[in-house]
Amino acid sequence: MSKGVLVNLTKCIGCGGCTVACKMYNDNKWVDDRSPSSGENAQLADENWTVVKQFKLFKNDDTQVWRFVKHQCLHCQSPSCVSACFARAFQKTDEGAVVYFPDNCVGCRYCMIACPFKVPKFEWQTPIPVVTKCVMCYGRLKDGKSPACVSVCPEGVMKFGERESLLREAKETIANDSRYVKHIYGEEEAGGTSWIYISDVPFEKIGFNTNVVKKPLPSYTSFYMKCTPIFGAIWVIILTAFYFITKRRNTIKKQSAELSYKKTTENNSDQNQNLPENKIVDKKIE
Amino acid sequence: MVFELGEENSDLSGAGGCEPCQVDESEGDSGAESVEVSRRGFLKLAGFGAAVGATVGVSGGCDADLGLVAKNPSGGGGWLPDQYNASGNFPVQVRGRVPIDPTNPSIKRDDQKCILCGQCVEVCSKVETVMHNYELPLIDDIPCVCCGQCTLWCPTGAISEVDDTHLLMRAIEDPNLHVVIQTAPSTRVALGEEFGLPVGTNVEGCQVAALNRIGVDKIFDTNFSADLTIMEEGTELVKRITGEIKTPLPQLTSCCPGWVKFCEYFYPDLIPHLSSAKSPMTMLGAMIKTYYAEKSNIDPKKIFSVAIMPCTAKKFEAIRPEMNHSGIKNGDPTIRDIDLVLTTRELAKLIKRVGLDFVNLPPMKYDSLLSEYSGAGAIFGVTGGVMEAAVRTAYHLLAGEPPKSLLNLEPVRGLAGVKEAKLNIPNVGDVKIAVVSGLHNSHKILERIRNGSGDWHFVEFMACPGGCISGGGQPRSAVPPSDAVRSARINSLYSADEKSTIRLSHENHEIKTIYKDYLGKPNGELPHELLHTHYTDRSKHLTAKIKKTGSEEK
Amino acid sequence: MESEVENVPFRFSITFIRVLLFLLALFAFGVVAVRFLFGLSAVTNLNDDWPWGLWIGFDVMCGVALAGGGYGTALLVHVFHIERFRPIARGAMLTSLIGYLLVMAGLFLDIGRWWNFWRPFVSWGHDSVLFEVFWCISAYTIIQVLEFCEIITERIFRAFHKIFVAIFPVLVIVGVAVPMMHQASLGGLYLLMDGRLHPFWWSPIIFVFFLLSSFYVGPAMIVLESAVGGKILQHAVSIDVLKRLARIGGVVMLIYLILRATDLILRNEIGNLLGDSYEVFAFRAEVVIGLIIPIFIVFSPLSNNRAWLIVYGLCASLGVFLNRLNVVVTGMAREMGSFYYPTIYEIAVSVGLVAAGILVYMFICENFKIVEE
Repeated sequence: MSKGVLVNLTKCIGCGGCTVACKMYNDNKWVDDRSPSSGENAQLADENWTVVKQFKLFKNDDTQVWRFVKHQCLHCQSPSCVSACFARAFQKTDEGAVVYFPDNCVGCRYCMIACPFKVPKFEWQTPIPVVTKCVMCYGRLKDGKSPACVSVCPEGVMKFGERESLLREAKETIANDSRYVKHIYGEEEAGGTSWIYISDVPFEKIGFNTNVVKKPLPSYTSFYMKCTPIFGAIWVIILTAFYFITKRRNTIKKQSAELSYKKTTENNSDQNQNLPENKIVDKKIE
Repeated sequence: MVFELGEENSDLSGAGGCEPCQVDESEGDSGAESVEVSRRGFLKLAGFGAAVGATVGVSGGCDADLGLVAKNPSGGGGWLPDQYNASGNFPVQVRGRVPIDPTNPSIKRDDQKCILCGQCVEVCSKVETVMHNYELPLIDDIPCVCCGQCTLWCPTGAISEVDDTHLLMRAIEDPNLHVVIQTAPSTRVALGEEFGLPVGTNVEGCQVAALNRIGVDKIFDTNFSADLTIMEEGTELVKRITGEIKTPLPQLTSCCPGWVKFCEYFYPDLIPHLSSAKSPMTMLGAMIKTYYAEKSNIDPKKIFSVAIMPCTAKKFEAIRPEMNHSGIKNGDPTIRDIDLVLTTRELAKLIKRVGLDFVNLPPMKYDSLLSEYSGAGAIFGVTGGVMEAAVRTAYHLLAGEPPKSLLNLEPVRGLAGVKEAKLNIPNVGDVKIAVVSGLHNSHKILERIRNGSGDWHFVEFMACPGGCISGGGQPRSAVPPSDAVRSARINSLYSADEKSTIRLSHENHEIKTIYKDYLGKPNGELPHELLHTHYTDRSKHLTAKIKKTGSEEK
Repeated sequence: MESEVENVPFRFSITFIRVLLFLLALFAFGVVAVRFLFGLSAVTNLNDDWPWGLWIGFDVMCGVALAGGGYGTALLVHVFHIERFRPIARGAMLTSLIGYLLVMAGLFLDIGRWWNFWRPFVSWGHDSVLFEVFWCISAYTIIQVLEFCEIITERIFRAFHKIFVAIFPVLVIVGVAVPMMHQASLGGLYLLMDGRLHPFWWSPIIFVFFLLSSFYVGPAMIVLESAVGGKILQHAVSIDVLKRLARIGGVVMLIYLILRATDLILRNEIGNLLGDSYEVFAFRAEVVIGLIIPIFIVFSPLSNNRAWLIVYGLCASLGVFLNRLNVVVTGMAREMGSFYYPTIYEIAVSVGLVAAGILVYMFICENFKIVEE
């Protein structure tokens, strides 16, 4: 059911057509002067939902190789942005896309903090900003079309399909070809992502964060949030109990004090009666 | 805190369960009231809290949708060409775009204009057989032969030549620089199109006049060095045929930098077949900074040598590290044979920017010394032209008589991708030649040379279909370029050849003079120093796809 | 008597300090105007690497924690009915209210789409820890306003006073439960940062740390506030009350320290404290200033001295301040790959907010019955 994309990084030639397709389909502006969408300085930005970043690295310590890495939202199976958003501005659809509803968004940017891949970006330059990120061309996805970037790739770097079958294909590919790194990025990262990558150079050398926890990140907070209402109720009950217990104890104390006081000073009651009374009737001073 | 709690416990045991209320009531009026209300209020609140908590906690999917929850996701506000709007993984045939290294000296792309029509991929992979003809992954290069055909096919002008016009203007404005310019054979039959003249109009005189108005100090003609190339390359061919030099046959032409780079990438084993003669542009560049500098007593360091070319690959050729023969000769390797290459389109841009009424400029003549040309030099810009010119001179050299019958070598004329001919030359016998234009046509010839089954003596290659007249730097007359445009430009050059009084390179007076006064003998010591070069194996930067036979693709 | 009170005009004496505070607030207001007209990048150093900066780290995280004195005191006085702390209750709760209003103001500046602030009320992202923080802070601020109405109506709108007196106990109980939840949840926000927030600060029980530190910083703030406020407003809380309060804080602090040490040991991080990275330095500073020194003061005879109690209050508050900034900035710096420094304008807004808060506090103290009962 859940769709995914398999990215075979060995095939990417860095034409950047996918970034153009993304801009065209999503009507995003070109902001290459501050955030290039391709090249060595490419970076995701409010207007760059996908970028192709060039890496020049040494493969076996001697031969330099160029690799191009397409980067966009990985559309986690259990997205932390979705679980982080307190206004449901991010939602994971049945098709697998993590989409964004700007009208729900408060602009708190917790999603940006929460995302282990640093994908959501923010329009810092405008007074009416939105958070932006790749939404896997949800409009196309709904109609059964592949995301814009996938459809335009001249080298077939990306393959669109059911995540499960793509995962199977990726496993087969890396098992049968010794050139590939034996790691499918996105199989387990952050609990698994809809976009999965295979590569012939180690992922950490081409800008991937390989320290991302394998656990689905929302699992950290879902238990916490499940417990919250219960804890709240328990707190209220405990506090109420304390309220009455201590209140009563004080009254008893005062009463006994009063009694003993009365006993000892029964005779000259006129002068001292006022003092304890004032204490008992707390805050009624008008 | 803790000990107080203990205290309170002991109190609790002392008093009964529901006592406190009674105590409260018995005690002052208003205090009791507050306790009563608070307890009721608390129960209500606890009930409400529990209800909310239960709803949220149990259902876990509660969405208080009051119509205020947004339903319009972001994205999708633009468009995509129709070819991509098919469901699923429908194999879009024409898609994407070519990769262009940002450091590519010849071509660049304005991403904002790209509409992903896929035309550049079509021409690059099917006409020039570069893209899709190497195995992935890439190594450390984005293979590109710099031919610039994609600039002609791109319907939006997103891909264009790297614009260097400002460098020419800067040099002209620099009083310390002596700006010398050369114009290629084919620019004169295409430049006029940029100014509304019919396709193929020969604007040689206007072009010289325009350059003069722009402020160039000397204007020479690359046609002259085309003749020079024929002298060197023709002599080399004769020497290969006669066995005087040990390099293998067939000899492959080397004046097209796109083809040369292609050969270095995909057929590095055939590099010995390449003629060691430089291209006309770089030969003239070397002559300008040696012969011309000496003749006119100018410091070669102060000469800024510019070439107007129909070709984007020439920008690459000019910066090849070995193209500093004049520098080595002058004792300063930093001196380049060519300092700047502008394409025909850039020249047109410059003329428009300067504001010249190009069409009505009174025609002017090239400066003498390095400008006279024969008809053979004139036809260098068409497919088969180099072959025809070379054959004329080689025939003379081999047979010792003028090649009267070969002046119009029809078999190598026309727009066919591969043309072959067999010539009977006295004293030698049959000489087999072939002419290829459009790199996709080269594979079957090259494969045959590679496996030894090709028995040609001389093969001409031009990367662009139709030759330089349809080069990547020429005006965009039709997108993609049409054969009608190509033919018009070709015919214009052939008629220039027919009109010229001298049609053989070795009869060019300035050529004779330069050999007599300066170079000595063709393929001699000085010519080797200045007019010949070597090539670089680029195969380690890519993994060429193995061609099965290379013939079925047409 | 009643009419007399009503007829006394509101007063607000002007001093040099107050003018200064007013100017600071005014400058902040100007910066805020620029921020709303030209976007966050116009005045802040925030960027895609650093979505949260000083305004969240100080205005919100610290603001909420430092304003935690209100619920702590309410707990002691109105729930546990420890009468000796009653003289400080109103002051603490007022500080807390103003603190929360400033937090709200800070949040409003920081959120990009402030006109959408109400969305979470109708579009429930109830898996988000922030959702709880949002609801609890909203609820608690409203509760505090209502609690404060009990004081206000002593002087104006007196017809409603009875109602507020009546519902006060309910408000207090909910008003203690709710902040305890969101103080914890502010830490809970960072549960997601496993492997990204530096392990010195990330912990599976980070929310417990946030709750405890917000609890002990309450007494510290009250000690500070009554020391400073007492001087200005000619009202001194007895040293005995302050000392006992500080002791309660000290006990919580000790528990906190032990918990954090245990947590670090269990996660095998304790050895890394011997390193010399900036995280180690920040962590040591936080622990020494914010925990060791105050604990030492409070459990030694020094605590009988008012000056040392002020040092206690300063250190403990600074410690929590450092802790929150370490979580928001220092602990994330390595992961973000760059470092964040607030601009002068960001600082100006934070300072200006505090200045405005102090002015409001002064005004209320002068005109309503806050400082004594």
